[in-house]
Amino acid sequence: MKLKKLAVIATAMTMLASGVAFAGDVTWWTPNFNEARAREIVAKFENANPNVKVKLEITTSDGLPQRVLTALQSGAAPEVIDVQHAWINGYAQNDLVLSVDDVLKDRDDYIPAALDYATWNSKLWGIPYRIETHAIIYNKGAFKDAGLDPNKPPQTWDELVATAKALSKGKMSGFGITGGGEMGNTIFRSLPFIWMNGGDMISADGKKALVNQPAAVAAVKFYTDFFKNKQAPASTLENDGTALRRLFIAETVAAYQSGQFDIASIKKENPKIDIGVMQIPHPADKKTAALLGGWSFVIPKSAKNPTDAKKLVGFLAEAENQGALTDTFPARKSAMSLPRFSDPILTVFKEMLPYGRAVPNNKNWIQITQAYFDGIQRILLGDEDVQKSMDGAAKDIQALLDQK
Amino acid sequence: MDRNSTGLVFVLPALIVLAMLVAYPVAYTGLLSVTDRQGAFVGLDNFSAVLGARATPQAFWNTLWFVGGSIVFQVVFGTAAAILLNQNFIGRGIVRSITLLPWVVPGIVAATTWAWMFHTEFGIINYMMTGAGVIPEPIGWLTNGSTVMPVLIAINVWKLFPFVAIMVLAGLQSIPNDLYEAARVDGANFWQEVFHIMLPQVRSVIVAVTLLLVIWGLNSITIIYAITRGGPANRTLITPIQIFRLAFESTNFNQAAALSVMFFAVALVIVIIYIKALASTPGEVK
Amino acid sequence: MSEAPTLKRTGLPLPITIIGAIVLVFICLFPFMWMFGSSIKTLPELYTVPPIWWPETPTFGNYYKVLFESNIPRYFLNSVIISVGSTVLALILAIFASYGFARFNFRGKPVLQSFVLVGQLLPTAAIIVPLFITLRVLGLVNTFWGLILVYMIVTLPLSVWMLTSYFKAIPVELEEAAIIDGASRIGILFRITLPLSTPGIVAVVVYAFVTTWNEFVFALCFATDSSVKTLPIGLAEFSTEFNTDWGAVMAASVVMTLPIALLFFSMQRLFVGGLTAGATKG
Repeated sequence: MKLKKLAVIATAMTMLASGVAFAGDVTWWTPNFNEARAREIVAKFENANPNVKVKLEITTSDGLPQRVLTALQSGAAPEVIDVQHAWINGYAQNDLVLSVDDVLKDRDDYIPAALDYATWNSKLWGIPYRIETHAIIYNKGAFKDAGLDPNKPPQTWDELVATAKALSKGKMSGFGITGGGEMGNTIFRSLPFIWMNGGDMISADGKKALVNQPAAVAAVKFYTDFFKNKQAPASTLENDGTALRRLFIAETVAAYQSGQFDIASIKKENPKIDIGVMQIPHPADKKTAALLGGWSFVIPKSAKNPTDAKKLVGFLAEAENQGALTDTFPARKSAMSLPRFSDPILTVFKEMLPYGRAVPNNKNWIQITQAYFDGIQRILLGDEDVQKSMDGAAKDIQALLDQK
Repeated sequence: MDRNSTGLVFVLPALIVLAMLVAYPVAYTGLLSVTDRQGAFVGLDNFSAVLGARATPQAFWNTLWFVGGSIVFQVVFGTAAAILLNQNFIGRGIVRSITLLPWVVPGIVAATTWAWMFHTEFGIINYMMTGAGVIPEPIGWLTNGSTVMPVLIAINVWKLFPFVAIMVLAGLQSIPNDLYEAARVDGANFWQEVFHIMLPQVRSVIVAVTLLLVIWGLNSITIIYAITRGGPANRTLITPIQIFRLAFESTNFNQAAALSVMFFAVALVIVIIYIKALASTPGEVK
Repeated sequence: MSEAPTLKRTGLPLPITIIGAIVLVFICLFPFMWMFGSSIKTLPELYTVPPIWWPETPTFGNYYKVLFESNIPRYFLNSVIISVGSTVLALILAIFASYGFARFNFRGKPVLQSFVLVGQLLPTAAIIVPLFITLRVLGLVNTFWGLILVYMIVTLPLSVWMLTSYFKAIPVELEEAAIIDGASRIGILFRITLPLSTPGIVAVVVYAFVTTWNEFVFALCFATDSSVKTLPIGLAEFSTEFNTDWGAVMAASVVMTLPIALLFFSMQRLFVGGLTAGATKG
């Protein structure tokens, strides 16, 4: 009894001491594409909380996972870090971030899939503020040239295949897929096809690899066939999302999956293109699907000033501030009504959001996707056929799932 | 005179610094390799998990292929360039400086520029080669399973052969003139000079430089990581990148540590064999 | 070596030498030419198929962006400070250590010598986290000193190794004469050994400087504050999440490459002078 009391006092003293030592200083790492907007919001926050000083540290996406991990592991982390949704679970399972259940209010206002990412052990470890899914961006002019109606884009897989075939002529590739660069690009673009076909990479209980089951194999074949049948560019194996956008701008790719962040640069770099957006086609009798991506805030366990960190995160999570900070869509439904999200070109992207799903939470998820991605590349390289390659991937994934 | 302690005094500062910043990481890595994420002792589980992965043996052979292939060409081209740069010709000074450029330029710059040049659609290399009729249609240099490793080796050779060249050039310049004079009296021609004077005289330099290249090669991440990240389908995955991926992409520091320990052991054996092989021959590193 | 060679060497026939030199220059320079060409193109010109050799209207907009709208100038300064600092420090420690290894016999010398070299073999990825923790304990995270120390230990092993072989190559007799004259060990080192090892010193300086200037992985993980970030990180900063600005990346590459290239061109005389000085030692 006495001992417990003593421990409580000691803890309180330590907290007090550290609180005093670092009172009022919060370091926030945010990516460079957020910089301008983040500065405005920080100014607002500091006005409302005059005794808290926010130090903004701008990060770049190149090597960001490594940097964040190094900082988290070293015990010298900042107070708040912007990370991609999918990274959070690894941090939570390695005991590197604080639970934020006490910060997040209005759970119901958030898109559920976004919260799925941040949940582990039925606790919440990050607060999502930005979400997005892909749709298909296409060149209306190319549709016309191929004798297609640009206002009636394909809706099913068969229609997409037929459209890609009609669009592919001369320098033009009908439908660009990714097969290179950072593997997340390809997961983002191919996994939804598996989902909409009723398959998955691993079973819901995380015990069984499913990539070599018929539903997944058919979807992977559908995806990789665009390359095999020369409807995707020859450079597919080195293309990531950015490369596809470049090819689209250079008018050598007529359609490709991407998020709304591509629209502005396409308009800027090649204003001649008449941009269309369509939902991602699905098997004839099934619904479409998409992978939900985006960014969240986490508070490192070793943050020196968790109190003010939570204050800042709480402020940033308010609907209005989320809406101002996000580069795509906010994670809260109520923020979606802000005027900046009502641009008509965003309509289809918005329509896709409800179909957005979170990837499974598994401590070896990155290695699992790596095994799957290697399998995709083996198909694209022509090393193996789809079934054989996915059998191999399933074997690799099963070994990862079987690790204690 | 007490040479014993004097020598130690000279050596000590460097040793202390190294011990502090190297010995600790080594010990920590060893510890990580036999524990799990929560720090509990798990014996050799991490080692067996790593060895069971399909990528591990592949990465090991890729590493040997990449390092070995790079070194052979680096040494051959570097030595040839050194002999060339040791000739008398106008503008030699400038050519020497230019030759150093690839080595001086940051690895990340070299990697991005070459990746840009080898690009399938926008790359200048495909354009030049199709234009000249060398190849009928653009090749996906970095995505074709059979070209990607040779291309990366070529980039790595380009980056480091200048280093071999300057080191060998320095060696060539320290060859005493009387050796050439003696050869000339015997009527030796240029190629005889190369094989009977230059190469034997710079042998120790080449041997030393090769060891450096082995060590650097076994630790080179930047070029491959910036260009292919080990892809496609692990064709260019080398062990250092596998370690990097395990640690920083998969957050599996314990398996990464286990792989590091094994890799370190293998690298050490290779270096020891190399040094031993040298020590047994005359003309050892001076 | 002076203008009048002491004897005529047989050499490669001049045409072969010239052709060889041209090929060599082409191989070494071509990527830089392409880099420069790309840096003065506008975005649409960068992404045309087939690629164009030279832009119709060269633009220096990318350079403006790099020099005036980015942190590159600041990172440049950081790179200079860190590279010079770690090179000087590594050189000083290496001189003493190499002299100790080259001129003395003491117990455990072979073990210590291998220990120095072994440091070079450690997988970079494996030592990043422990190294970071060490720096944190020392309070050196995000400081110039932290990075200087890290790079010093990266370059020190090979510097020691290179200098040891150079020192060993200097005849001991020269020093022994001085010892008889009563000079101290330090005096001998600085007055006799070092001047005779200029090529070795130059080689070490060049090696250490270039390695530090170019290093990417450690800088990425250890320099998280813009006040200490180095140029390679600056290059990475140009690639934002969804927008690789190739023109600016190439312009930044030129900015990173030019100073070090100029440095070499200006040092060329000294460098070669140092190398040929080594030739006379026999």
